Amino acid sequence: MANAADAHHDDHHDHYPSFFQRWFCSTNHKDIGTVYLFVSMFAAIIGGGMSWYIRLELAEPGIQFIDDFQWYNVLLTAHGFIMVFFVVMPALIGGFGNWFVPLMVGAPDMAFPRMNNISLWLLIVALIMLLMSAFVGSGVGTGWTAYPPLSSGIYHPDAAVDFGILSLHLAGASSILGAINFIVTIFNMRAPGMTLHKMPLFVWSILVTAFLLLLALPVLAGALTMLLTDRNFGTTFFDPAGGGDPILWQHLFWFFGHPEVYIIIMPAFGLISQIVSTFSKKPVFGYLGMAYAMVAIGVVGFVVWAHHMYTVGLDVDTRAYFTAATMVIAVPTGVKIFSWLATMWGGSIEFKTPMLYAFGFIFLFVVGGVTGVTLANSSADLVFHDTYFVVAHFHYVMAIAAIFAMFAGWYYWIGKMSGKQYNETLGKIQFWMFFIGVNVLFFPQHFAGLAGMPRRIPDYPDAYAGWNYVSSIGALITMLGTFLFFWILFRTYASGEKAAQNPWGAGATTLEWHVPSPAPFHTFEDQPDMSGKAPAE
Amino acid sequence: MSNLGRKNARTATVLFSLVAGMVGLSYASVPLYQWLCQVTGWGGTPSTENVVASDEISDETINVRFDSNVSPMLPWKFEPMQREVTVRLGEEKLAFYRATNTSDKPIVGTSTFNVTPFKAGPFFVKMECFCFTEQVLMPGESIEMPVSFYVDPDIYEEANTKEVRAITLSYTFYEAKSQAKVSEVKTPDASQDNGG
Amino acid sequence: MTNKLKLFFSAIAGVFLVSGSALAGPNGDVRSAPWQMWLQDPASPTADRIVAFNVQLLVIETIIVVFVLGLMAYIAYKFNAKKNPVPSKTTHHTGLEVAWTVIPIFILVGISVPSIKHLYFADHIEEADMTLKIIGNQWFWTYEYPDDGNFTFDSLPIAEEDLKEGQPRLLSVDNKVVLPVETNIRLLMTSNDVIHNWALPSLSVKLDTVPGRINETWTRIHEKYVGKTIYGMCSELCGVNHGFMPIAIHAVTKEDYQKWVLKAQEEFASDEPVQPKAADAVKLAAASQAQ
Repeated sequence: MANAADAHHDDHHDHYPSFFQRWFCSTNHKDIGTVYLFVSMFAAIIGGGMSWYIRLELAEPGIQFIDDFQWYNVLLTAHGFIMVFFVVMPALIGGFGNWFVPLMVGAPDMAFPRMNNISLWLLIVALIMLLMSAFVGSGVGTGWTAYPPLSSGIYHPDAAVDFGILSLHLAGASSILGAINFIVTIFNMRAPGMTLHKMPLFVWSILVTAFLLLLALPVLAGALTMLLTDRNFGTTFFDPAGGGDPILWQHLFWFFGHPEVYIIIMPAFGLISQIVSTFSKKPVFGYLGMAYAMVAIGVVGFVVWAHHMYTVGLDVDTRAYFTAATMVIAVPTGVKIFSWLATMWGGSIEFKTPMLYAFGFIFLFVVGGVTGVTLANSSADLVFHDTYFVVAHFHYVMAIAAIFAMFAGWYYWIGKMSGKQYNETLGKIQFWMFFIGVNVLFFPQHFAGLAGMPRRIPDYPDAYAGWNYVSSIGALITMLGTFLFFWILFRTYASGEKAAQNPWGAGATTLEWHVPSPAPFHTFEDQPDMSGKAPAE
Repeated sequence: MSNLGRKNARTATVLFSLVAGMVGLSYASVPLYQWLCQVTGWGGTPSTENVVASDEISDETINVRFDSNVSPMLPWKFEPMQREVTVRLGEEKLAFYRATNTSDKPIVGTSTFNVTPFKAGPFFVKMECFCFTEQVLMPGESIEMPVSFYVDPDIYEEANTKEVRAITLSYTFYEAKSQAKVSEVKTPDASQDNGG
Repeated sequence: MTNKLKLFFSAIAGVFLVSGSALAGPNGDVRSAPWQMWLQDPASPTADRIVAFNVQLLVIETIIVVFVLGLMAYIAYKFNAKKNPVPSKTTHHTGLEVAWTVIPIFILVGISVPSIKHLYFADHIEEADMTLKIIGNQWFWTYEYPDDGNFTFDSLPIAEEDLKEGQPRLLSVDNKVVLPVETNIRLLMTSNDVIHNWALPSLSVKLDTVPGRINETWTRIHEKYVGKTIYGMCSELCGVNHGFMPIAIHAVTKEDYQKWVLKAQEEFASDEPVQPKAADAVKLAAASQAQ
């Protein structure tokens, strides 16, 4: 836990680069983090807009708005890609990771500041390419999973899928470079005395995430390249006519795809640890258990991929193995949930907006997690695969839990980032609105799935109308809650109260609270001495 | 470069090589996948490599059914000449499929295959077949394709496969990616057979 | 499992099953009812087990969620800043940490054991009495009956404007799959183009149809579904009309099945190769009969 010994940060207020230099050629982790957050918010409007449009169509049986079903498939595909690659990852990793990992380890910046900027711009170009793909030919209507033969040159003959492939290559490269940057920074640039076992849990979470990115994304890159050459250069990796196998794509994709969902949630785990600890005014319970639970989740996450493939025609022994392995992940995850509860137990909790979101995260992640346990069972999955039960499950853990963590992080750190504090009353209203909205939106989808409604369909048998209507109402409330958030954001920047260096009190112990708000352009140019300090959870 | 700079560069190099390794692994997965299926029989992959005749022929029997599929892009008729046979375990059997080119162009076809149930894969031994060999058929030409196989008696020794009573062997014919073989074939003599 | 526990779970299952069937479709069609919150009535031995297993899962998971919710409500009440101004300093408790690692392991093992049992049950092929071959196309199903004269027919969805009274929208087809009850049926499936998935929730059948290979599973329809139609939908994104290629199985007695086979052999038999027609959702089966 750092105290006054950290006062060696330099302020260089008079050394800001020009506007173009600063925002387009940045080598500053804070500015790059800021741009990532804005990219994420921009993409969220697009990806969210797509989902609200889809929910508008699905509100009632029959076709009301989207009568071009290829366009419907393009929308649901783009919605998935955008939310995963351009909303959650840039916010948690590119945004909060870049902003706060160097601060939390007491480093002046990331290990490779220019490469950091390259990562940022690769992502922006990737987003543009993905959006363009919707307007090339008939767009990418394959789902984010892009299974061949549907994604092959025969069934998607125009260049749209190729645009999508190139977009993902760029996004993957962006993340791989970012992962290297984070790992090198965390391994080599911690302040003296800050051993790995004294790092904040948010930093641990980014470290584990970075390794997942490093090992999983290249496999996606390989698979994407194989699809690209199958489509354009006559190879037959996934074409049975040439001795290939469409199932190979699924293995490769999900070998990446499962770690990807842990990449999504892991930084959220770290963030929640920071917030729960701050607002309970207690250190995190069982710090080592928490750190190594994340490592365990990351490692085991690499050997469970085929639970996404239970119905493709796998041998029964294979399915039995993947069922067992997937169940294993629930153990370290449970350790984390209980550790958060134990952190709060005995604490002196202030339910400010970040803490409301963290509290909501813990409960809603448990709800999403238990449906995951149901789905882990390959026998049960026979009735759930490709139904709205799966849609409900992953939206609970990603669209609710991960997004809650994003909001929690924004409310927690906006004062530090901008120097202006948000309005607490409005924040609480926004929380409740969003909380009600997403639960009304996604909980009924469990029922639709149980009753047999398949996913990725623009219209459904009349029996599913009831729950779909309710779900669409939830989408409306969520949309309003999102608009309220943007209003709060605007108000904060325009006229927010000046933020204190540490608005959160004694519970906020990590190093970012030892620099002024807004954080100066350069911080920790002389690193603080952390020897003898307790772990800064 | 400063000490830190050197250290960072070293760490980054190690990490880049991990990335390269994973890309390599994903390409290696292509032959690895084939090899794994061959060795384990997963996905209903029959044994086709280094096959030797069974040294034991048991009195127990099993049904072998024959299934066929043709890609819509291939204007061929392709059917098994027998729906099903009963064989003794270990006994080598010969079965035939017939393919007819119903179009007016010579075409090279190739096929994929598997058996079901998948767990029977390692016990289904194909001595000889026309699997990936490219078949050229002239317009209207018919050909009978043999497949020689046996079912390993061990199938009834394993707990999981004890209850298998029927194995289905299925072939799917496709138009070959390279039609080059067409030019290598001379016009056939009396084996014209229109419409099978 | 003790008898009392078995009774408890059966009671819960009973509640759900009764509520499910009370809301069944008209004419007793086996498909979702409006506002249905639970699985469709199980119509096969596999489905019986899977539905019962899901009841057990639901109970366990509800207990976990309620337990966590209870703890959190207590925390919010007891440990908010006003009620508890001085935070404790506890950061470790070995006993607790062991407990919350080990107890979940027991629960998960307790779930896995029946789960794997059901998995192997769903996989093991009883001696099949007949075979149905299913071929996925964009965007309709083709069915073959190889053991009953090898006739084949397409099953095309009925357009909304052509629906008759009692035919559910987006589920009705022109030629239903006719299958006898209380018969072990081997299901072989493949695809002519992209990956589709043949799924019938009430039979707990769901298997991808992959081009270039055959997948196999089995089912058996319970006697009580004689005369009923069992519905399903394609369950793997396969292009623009993925939502519009339903599956309908008409379950009949064994005698009626034999009668139907004789008729079908005449109606659908052809010695032409089985070539799927171009995808057109409104196309009638008359085309395949015209050969």
